[in-house]
Amino acid sequence: MIWLKCKNWIEERYDIDELKKLAKSKLIPQHRYDFLYYTGGITLFLFILQFITGMLLAFYYIPHIDFAYESIIDIVTKINMGWFFRAVHHWGAQLCIVFVFIHLFGTLLIKSYRKPREFLWVTGFILLIISIFFGLSGYLMLWDERAFAAVRVATGGAGALPVVGSFIKIFLRGGTDVTGDTLTRFYAFHVAILPVLSLLLIGLHLLFVQYHGMSIPVSLEKKEHKEEPFFPNVFYKDMMIWLVVLGIVVTLAIFLPPEIGKKANPLAPPPEGIKPEWYFLFLLETLKLFPGSIFGFNGETIAIVCVSIGIFFFFLIPFIDRKSNRGEKSPVFTFIAVIYLIYFITMTLVGFLS
Amino acid sequence: MHMKTTTMSFRNLILSFPRKRESSTTLSFRRRPESRIFYLSSLFLLTFNSLSWAEEKIPVFPTTPVDVYTIYTSLAVFWLAIIGLIVIIKMKLNEIERIQKLGIDKENNEAPMLK
Repeated sequence: MIWLKCKNWIEERYDIDELKKLAKSKLIPQHRYDFLYYTGGITLFLFILQFITGMLLAFYYIPHIDFAYESIIDIVTKINMGWFFRAVHHWGAQLCIVFVFIHLFGTLLIKSYRKPREFLWVTGFILLIISIFFGLSGYLMLWDERAFAAVRVATGGAGALPVVGSFIKIFLRGGTDVTGDTLTRFYAFHVAILPVLSLLLIGLHLLFVQYHGMSIPVSLEKKEHKEEPFFPNVFYKDMMIWLVVLGIVVTLAIFLPPEIGKKANPLAPPPEGIKPEWYFLFLLETLKLFPGSIFGFNGETIAIVCVSIGIFFFFLIPFIDRKSNRGEKSPVFTFIAVIYLIYFITMTLVGFLS
Repeated sequence: MHMKTTTMSFRNLILSFPRKRESSTTLSFRRRPESRIFYLSSLFLLTFNSLSWAEEKIPVFPTTPVDVYTIYTSLAVFWLAIIGLIVIIKMKLNEIERIQKLGIDKENNEAPMLK
């Protein structure tokens, strides 16, 4: 009865039927690659999960060099269910980046970036970078020796870029070295700047998806295919997948809660055998391939420049791939996408095993 | 007299490690106290160092058996709830698809209206 009253109250003020019609009018194509459509939804769900768990952790976290580490230990050991929300936040972040990568490579392989969806690719690509920076900034929040060394290496690597490198390094660190200023800065990025940016970009990304509709692979575009309404059919399927993903995150959080190392000591040497987060491993292994000096130039700088060119080329693919834009098959760019994917997986595995 | 010495030596045997092997009644530390200091200090240093080197593990998961049992049980219930919800959603979806196949989900604008 109350429900009906509320419904009537809203319907008197807003045209809900029009919204319902709009939701029902959105059609999703059905074909053998349609599972890739769900990866975007999973990423969105994980972003929401991160926002919720992050807000809960922010109640107790203290972004100060003297208290950051201790506050996390308090969250894990003293706060009721604190260990659980921290573990869910950790695993949610890992899976979020995994699904962002899957979504990105899926888009690349089925050429969903082609005309007129270039801006969808651009917003998605920026969201990937934001997700990685979310991971890096969140990693430093722990303020243990592993996080400290990883951030020192990552920001130092950015500093190896010619011309703008030292500016980026000092801007990120808030000084010449990783200190308490870096922690405060990364905290500001992690809880204020990046969430606002990601919300804006997610909104824009979803708006573009609604505007352009779902992309169909070039090979299937001219063939007959079925369609189903987004609401309620695909929405219910999304719900089922999200429930499974939530179950996986919770299970990982319980069976593999993230460890806390020793408190960071800026004066101590970095511990041996230290590795960055998995999504930086391919970058680290690439840097290892280059010698210290190449024709008198700094090897690290050349490596960073090469990696940056590779990433920039990856970003520009929708604007370079003209065949796909004409609606023709583009095996060269499929090959390039496969090479990128194999390189990323191989180097990440090498980084894990070495 | 002999008995007393034996009792004393047994008590001191524990308290004053090490003792000389060749003398069972006389305690070595009475003869060479620096030897005892050396052994005990070495033992102390070894123990102290090994403890300081051991990485301090911060418990990131509840350790009490009751808590662990509760968490695993809750996880099992949580998965059962997820499976239950999935089954319900799937049933609902099947029903929607059946109605859509029959074509009775769309509003017929040409249907006669009672005036």
